[in-house]
Amino acid sequence: MLKKTILCALFAISLSGCVGLNTVSMTQVPAERDNKITTNSSSWNFIGINFSNVFVDEAIENLKTQCPTGKIEGVYTKHQTTGYVLVFKREVIVSAYCNEV
Amino acid sequence: MPIKLKNILGLSLLMLGGCSQLHHVHIGEIDQSQGTLTPFTLKVNELGFDAAKAAKIGADVAKSASTSEDLELVAFILAISNFGPKTGNPVYNDAYADQVLAEVIKVCPSKRLTGLTSVREATNAGPVSGEVVRINGYCINSF
Repeated sequence: MLKKTILCALFAISLSGCVGLNTVSMTQVPAERDNKITTNSSSWNFIGINFSNVFVDEAIENLKTQCPTGKIEGVYTKHQTTGYVLVFKREVIVSAYCNEV
Repeated sequence: MPIKLKNILGLSLLMLGGCSQLHHVHIGEIDQSQGTLTPFTLKVNELGFDAAKAAKIGADVAKSASTSEDLELVAFILAISNFGPKTGNPVYNDAYADQVLAEVIKVCPSKRLTGLTSVREATNAGPVSGEVVRINGYCINSF
Protein backbone atom coordinates (compact mmCIF):
# COMPACT_ATOMS: atom_id res chain seq x y z
CA MET A 1 0.00 0.00 0.00
CA LEU A 2 2.79 2.40 1.00
CA LYS A 3 4.66 1.55 -2.20
CA LYS A 4 1.59 2.43 -4.29
CA THR A 5 1.16 5.72 -2.43
CA ILE A 6 4.80 6.67 -2.97
CA LEU A 7 4.60 5.73 -6.67
CA CYS A 8 1.38 7.70 -7.03
CA ALA A 9 2.97 10.74 -5.33
CA LEU A 10 6.04 10.50 -7.57
CA PHE A 11 3.81 10.28 -10.66
CA ALA A 12 1.82 13.32 -9.49
CA ILE A 13 5.04 15.27 -8.87
CA SER A 14 6.29 14.41 -12.38
CA LEU A 15 3.04 15.77 -13.84
CA SER A 16 3.04 19.05 -11.97
CA GLY A 17 4.67 22.13 -13.46
CA CYS A 18 7.66 23.54 -11.66
CA VAL A 19 8.17 26.96 -13.26
CA GLY A 20 6.15 30.03 -12.36
CA LEU A 21 6.41 33.01 -14.67
CA ASN A 22 6.19 36.08 -12.49
CA THR A 23 6.60 39.00 -14.86
CA VAL A 24 7.66 39.84 -18.40
CA SER A 25 8.50 43.29 -19.68
CA MET A 26 9.91 44.78 -22.85
CA THR A 27 11.13 48.17 -24.03
CA GLN A 28 11.15 49.63 -27.57
CA VAL A 29 12.94 47.29 -29.98
CA PRO A 30 15.54 49.10 -32.15
CA ALA A 31 15.84 48.69 -35.92
CA GLU A 32 19.49 47.72 -35.56
CA ARG A 33 19.60 44.29 -33.97
CA ASP A 34 23.02 42.87 -34.81
CA ASN A 35 24.59 42.71 -31.38
CA LYS A 36 22.40 40.76 -28.98
CA ILE A 37 23.47 40.54 -25.36
CA THR A 38 21.98 38.31 -22.68
CA THR A 39 22.42 37.82 -18.99
CA ASN A 40 20.71 36.22 -16.07
CA SER A 41 21.04 36.24 -12.33
CA SER A 42 19.38 34.10 -9.74
CA SER A 43 18.84 33.57 -6.07
CA TRP A 44 18.11 30.26 -4.34
CA ASN A 45 15.96 29.89 -1.26
CA PHE A 46 14.50 27.24 0.98
CA ILE A 47 10.66 27.17 1.22
CA GLY A 48 10.49 30.70 -0.11
CA ILE A 49 12.47 32.42 2.63
CA ASN A 50 14.49 35.25 1.09
CA PHE A 51 16.38 38.06 2.67
CA SER A 52 17.32 40.18 -0.32
CA ASN A 53 16.50 40.97 -3.94
CA VAL A 54 20.00 42.12 -4.84
CA PHE A 55 20.27 39.54 -7.62
CA VAL A 56 18.23 41.90 -9.83
CA ASP A 57 20.98 44.53 -9.61
CA GLU A 58 23.57 41.90 -10.60
CA ALA A 59 21.73 41.35 -13.89
CA ILE A 60 21.86 45.08 -14.66
CA GLU A 61 25.60 45.24 -13.90
CA ASN A 62 26.22 42.19 -16.14
CA LEU A 63 24.29 43.88 -18.93
CA LYS A 64 26.26 47.11 -18.57
CA THR A 65 29.62 45.33 -18.75
CA GLN A 66 28.62 43.71 -22.06
CA CYS A 67 27.97 47.12 -23.64
CA PRO A 68 30.38 49.54 -21.94
CA THR A 69 30.19 52.40 -24.44
CA GLY A 70 26.97 51.76 -26.31
CA LYS A 71 23.25 51.99 -25.92
CA ILE A 72 21.37 49.01 -24.48
CA GLU A 73 18.00 48.87 -26.24
CA GLY A 74 15.12 46.46 -26.72
CA VAL A 75 15.45 45.13 -23.19
CA TYR A 76 13.40 41.99 -22.59
CA THR A 77 13.15 41.06 -18.92
CA LYS A 78 11.69 37.84 -17.59
CA HIS A 79 11.28 37.11 -13.90
CA GLN A 80 10.52 33.49 -13.07
CA THR A 81 10.58 31.10 -10.14
CA THR A 82 11.46 27.42 -10.46
CA GLY A 83 10.58 24.96 -7.72
CA TYR A 84 12.79 21.94 -6.94
CA VAL A 85 10.84 20.37 -4.02
CA LEU A 86 11.10 22.79 -1.06
CA VAL A 87 13.95 24.67 -2.74
CA PHE A 88 13.15 27.54 -5.10
CA LYS A 89 15.21 29.42 -7.64
CA ARG A 90 14.21 33.01 -8.40
CA GLU A 91 15.68 34.16 -11.66
CA VAL A 92 15.83 37.28 -13.80
CA ILE A 93 16.64 36.59 -17.44
CA VAL A 94 17.44 39.60 -19.61
CA SER A 95 18.17 39.97 -23.31
CA ALA A 96 18.85 43.24 -25.15
CA TYR A 97 20.65 44.78 -28.10
CA CYS A 98 23.88 46.74 -27.75
CA ASN A 99 24.17 49.54 -30.30
CA GLU A 100 27.18 51.81 -30.62
CA VAL A 101 26.11 55.37 -31.30
CA MET B 1 -1.76 27.23 30.09
CA PRO B 2 1.66 28.33 28.79
CA ILE B 3 2.13 28.95 25.12
CA LYS B 4 3.25 25.73 23.52
CA LEU B 5 6.65 25.32 21.92
CA LYS B 6 5.06 24.49 18.57
CA ASN B 7 3.18 27.78 18.67
CA ILE B 8 6.39 29.68 19.29
CA LEU B 9 8.05 27.77 16.46
CA GLY B 10 5.10 28.42 14.16
CA LEU B 11 5.14 32.11 15.05
CA SER B 12 8.87 32.35 14.42
CA LEU B 13 8.42 30.73 11.03
CA LEU B 14 5.55 33.10 10.23
CA MET B 15 7.67 36.08 11.20
CA LEU B 16 10.57 34.78 9.13
CA GLY B 17 8.57 33.39 6.22
CA GLY B 18 9.24 35.14 2.92
CA CYS B 19 11.12 38.00 4.55
CA SER B 20 11.90 39.64 1.24
CA GLN B 21 9.62 39.16 -1.75
CA LEU B 22 10.15 40.20 -5.33
CA HIS B 23 6.95 40.86 -7.27
CA HIS B 24 7.94 42.64 -10.44
CA VAL B 25 11.05 43.77 -12.31
CA HIS B 26 11.29 46.00 -15.36
CA ILE B 27 14.71 46.92 -16.73
CA GLY B 28 14.82 49.93 -19.04
CA GLU B 29 17.25 50.93 -21.76
CA ILE B 30 20.73 51.96 -20.66
CA ASP B 31 22.67 54.56 -22.64
CA GLN B 32 26.38 54.51 -21.85
CA SER B 33 27.35 56.41 -25.01
CA GLN B 34 26.50 59.95 -23.85
CA GLY B 35 28.77 60.24 -20.82
CA THR B 36 29.61 58.73 -17.49
CA LEU B 37 26.75 57.43 -15.39
CA THR B 38 25.97 58.18 -11.77
CA PRO B 39 23.66 55.64 -10.17
CA PHE B 40 20.71 56.57 -7.97
CA THR B 41 18.06 54.68 -6.07
CA LEU B 42 14.65 55.95 -5.05
CA LYS B 43 12.33 54.02 -2.80
CA VAL B 44 8.80 54.58 -1.57
CA ASN B 45 7.05 52.25 0.76
CA GLU B 46 3.75 51.82 2.50
CA LEU B 47 2.61 49.67 5.40
CA GLY B 48 0.83 46.53 4.30
CA PHE B 49 -1.32 44.52 6.69
CA ASP B 50 -2.71 41.01 6.30
CA ALA B 51 -5.59 40.90 8.77
CA ALA B 52 -6.33 37.23 8.07
CA LYS B 53 -2.77 36.25 8.93
CA ALA B 54 -2.96 38.31 12.13
CA ALA B 55 -6.15 36.49 13.15
CA LYS B 56 -4.49 33.16 12.33
CA ILE B 57 -1.55 34.01 14.57
CA GLY B 58 -4.04 34.98 17.27
CA ALA B 59 -5.75 31.60 16.86
CA ASP B 60 -2.43 29.79 17.15
CA VAL B 61 -1.43 31.48 20.39
CA ALA B 62 -4.90 31.66 21.98
CA LYS B 63 -5.01 30.05 25.42
CA SER B 64 -8.52 28.62 25.25
CA ALA B 65 -9.81 26.26 22.58
CA SER B 66 -12.99 28.27 22.03
CA THR B 67 -11.09 31.54 21.48
CA SER B 68 -8.82 29.74 19.08
CA GLU B 69 -11.81 28.41 17.13
CA ASP B 70 -13.42 31.86 17.02
CA LEU B 71 -10.23 33.43 15.73
CA GLU B 72 -9.88 30.67 13.13
CA LEU B 73 -13.36 31.60 11.90
CA VAL B 74 -12.45 35.30 11.83
CA ALA B 75 -9.29 34.45 9.87
CA PHE B 76 -11.34 32.42 7.40
CA ILE B 77 -13.91 35.23 6.92
CA LEU B 78 -11.13 37.79 6.44
CA ALA B 79 -9.34 35.50 4.00
CA ILE B 80 -12.38 34.92 1.78
CA SER B 81 -13.41 38.58 1.93
CA ASN B 82 -9.99 39.57 0.57
CA PHE B 83 -9.84 36.72 -1.91
CA GLY B 84 -8.75 37.66 -5.42
CA PRO B 85 -5.76 38.77 -7.43
CA LYS B 86 -3.39 41.01 -5.50
CA THR B 87 0.27 41.87 -5.28
CA GLY B 88 1.60 41.84 -1.73
CA ASN B 89 -0.42 42.79 1.32
CA PRO B 90 -3.24 45.34 1.11
CA VAL B 91 -2.23 48.92 1.98
CA TYR B 92 -4.21 51.92 3.20
CA ASN B 93 -3.07 54.40 0.56
CA ASP B 94 -3.50 53.73 -3.14
CA ALA B 95 -1.34 56.68 -4.22
CA TYR B 96 1.87 55.97 -2.34
CA ALA B 97 3.75 55.06 -5.52
CA ASP B 98 2.74 58.23 -7.38
CA GLN B 99 5.43 60.40 -5.78
CA VAL B 100 8.09 58.30 -7.53
CA LEU B 101 7.72 60.20 -10.80
CA ALA B 102 8.24 63.57 -9.13
CA GLU B 103 11.27 62.21 -7.26
CA VAL B 104 12.82 60.76 -10.44
CA ILE B 105 12.47 64.09 -12.22
CA LYS B 106 14.20 65.90 -9.35
CA VAL B 107 17.09 63.49 -8.84
CA CYS B 108 19.38 64.40 -11.77
CA PRO B 109 20.81 67.92 -11.99
CA SER B 110 21.65 67.25 -15.67
CA LYS B 111 18.01 66.17 -16.27
CA ARG B 112 19.35 63.32 -18.40
CA LEU B 113 18.27 59.90 -17.16
CA THR B 114 18.91 56.40 -18.39
CA GLY B 115 18.64 52.79 -17.27
CA LEU B 116 15.51 53.15 -15.20
CA THR B 117 14.72 49.87 -13.45
CA SER B 118 11.42 49.52 -11.61
CA VAL B 119 11.22 46.92 -8.87
CA ARG B 120 8.09 46.10 -6.91
CA GLU B 121 9.08 44.23 -3.76
CA ALA B 122 8.03 43.71 -0.17
CA THR B 123 9.63 43.08 3.18
CA ASN B 124 7.44 40.89 5.35
CA ALA B 125 7.38 40.48 9.10
CA GLY B 126 4.44 38.27 10.00
CA PRO B 127 1.15 39.98 9.16
CA VAL B 128 2.72 43.36 8.43
CA SER B 129 4.89 44.26 5.49
CA GLY B 130 6.65 47.12 3.83
CA GLU B 131 5.22 47.31 0.31
CA VAL B 132 8.04 48.86 -1.65
CA VAL B 133 8.43 50.44 -5.07
CA ARG B 134 12.11 50.90 -5.89
CA ILE B 135 13.46 52.79 -8.89
CA ASN B 136 17.11 52.42 -9.81
CA GLY B 137 18.60 54.49 -12.57
CA TYR B 138 21.52 56.56 -13.76
CA CYS B 139 22.08 60.25 -14.33
CA ILE B 140 24.11 60.92 -17.48
CA ASN B 141 27.05 63.24 -16.87
CA SER B 142 28.84 64.84 -19.80
CA PHE B 143 32.22 63.39 -20.84
